[in-house]
Amino acid sequence: MSNKIQAVAAREVVSVVRARSTLALLLGVLLVTFGVVFVSNAEPDYLPTAVDLLLPMEFLVPALAVALGYRTIISDSTRGELDVLATYPVSVSRYILGVFVGRALALTVLLTIPLAIVGVYLATTSPTTPTFLATHQGVDSPLIFVRFIGLTVFFGLVVLAMTIAVSALASTQRSALVLGLVVLALVIIGLDLLILRGVAGGTVGDEWLTAVLSVSPTSAYRGLVFETVLSTAVETDLQQASPVTSAAGLLSWLLGSLAVATVSVSRR
Amino acid sequence: MSDSQSTTGVASRPAANSDSAAEPVLVSEQLSQAYGSVSVLSDVSVTIESGTLTAVVGPNGSGKTTLLKTLAGLLSPTAGAVHYLGPDAEREIGYLPQRPSFRPQFSTLETLEFYTALVDDDPEELLARVGLRDAAERRVEALSGGMTRLLGLAQATVGDPPVVVLDEPGSGLDPTMRKRTFEVAHELATDGTAVICSSHDLALVEQWADQVIVLDGGSVVDTGSPAKLCNHHDADSLWDVFDIAVEKPDNQVAILGVDDE
Repeated sequence: MSNKIQAVAAREVVSVVRARSTLALLLGVLLVTFGVVFVSNAEPDYLPTAVDLLLPMEFLVPALAVALGYRTIISDSTRGELDVLATYPVSVSRYILGVFVGRALALTVLLTIPLAIVGVYLATTSPTTPTFLATHQGVDSPLIFVRFIGLTVFFGLVVLAMTIAVSALASTQRSALVLGLVVLALVIIGLDLLILRGVAGGTVGDEWLTAVLSVSPTSAYRGLVFETVLSTAVETDLQQASPVTSAAGLLSWLLGSLAVATVSVSRR
Repeated sequence: MSDSQSTTGVASRPAANSDSAAEPVLVSEQLSQAYGSVSVLSDVSVTIESGTLTAVVGPNGSGKTTLLKTLAGLLSPTAGAVHYLGPDAEREIGYLPQRPSFRPQFSTLETLEFYTALVDDDPEELLARVGLRDAAERRVEALSGGMTRLLGLAQATVGDPPVVVLDEPGSGLDPTMRKRTFEVAHELATDGTAVICSSHDLALVEQWADQVIVLDGGSVVDTGSPAKLCNHHDADSLWDVFDIAVEKPDNQVAILGVDDE
């Protein structure tokens, strides 16, 4: 990574660390995560916990990503810092990448800390003998939970990139917030509803379902969790999603969003 | 406008760069800028030389900020062109916006450390140049308006760019701070930098500027040294020049794009 991207990324990390809202966000994620674990009646094992956390994470992760990202570009724009930065030898793409990397680090930490604590809690209370290499189906292990954390962070990074794109498209802080909420609604429920309508109306046939599901970030995340986390421990012949197309769908949203942000800032 | 009305006459301060021949570093050719149907700049041709302090003066809405942004390369002209003719530099043009603003949770030193990570420079030296060394650890949110502007001035000079564009560096500051911004601009010019600034403070412009560009209605109505402008208009001061060159008979604010009836 170039020094200029590092400099922009470091500034974002420090901005998040020093923001008054960051501690509240961390406490919120901790509260929801532990609330789900302790309210659940399931065995304190990795697989049941991942299953219990999946749905709350589909709401919590986009909300966290939007909270972290909606003001990034628009704040620099309204402060006049985009004009100032344009006089420095920093390309727009490097600036966007730096912003994304910095915020991504913050989001990763904010998600990983609570989930890692849950993982440690499970390691100390789980009745299952820890088996670190869950290479065979039917085996619950910490690795399953690590995969779940990784996929959850990946999902968060995708929504963060989408949020940075709308922050670049917005003309005011208020419109950035509104667009961020639109992203939140689309990611949490909007795209899934569209797919559901397509299936119910016969527009989306069974043969296309796994491919279409990868278009929705939440469905793609859910599909990846089912296929690479849950199916590892639960024997089933039913394929919930295609891991490759789901990963490609998420990656497309991430890269496409960063491209939109870059073009938008270039045209300001 | 009280300070604008007070005049000091053409100052006897030394020329910004008397030792070396000034060379053109930034040239605009028949520059025009329009926002939709509203023409903001029309056929503006100016030459900015190294080691000089050029002031752009004109009434509100005359196109000063648009001209400076276009010269700084932040706006693409709708017609004409801007040519940078200065030496190769990592950062060719420095820019101070009209209302500089920085991330509030950073100290002044941290703010400059960020910019000097983009272009090599010494942040502490930059702070010392604008007189903010003692405020190095102070958070940006705790700076006064004047100190924020001085920090902006330091930012504009990061990387020692051959051209520095300052949009009303003294606006809203007390007389001492305002004078300090012009002193810093003059020091930069003395070191060989081409400094372009807009200002409504005609007394300070008359005292410090080597060249004055008088802008009205998006067009250059006169240009030259303060002394030359005074001679040309048979005026005692730059304020009188301004009065003669741009005064509107009905004392109304000029709104670009609205034709006189």
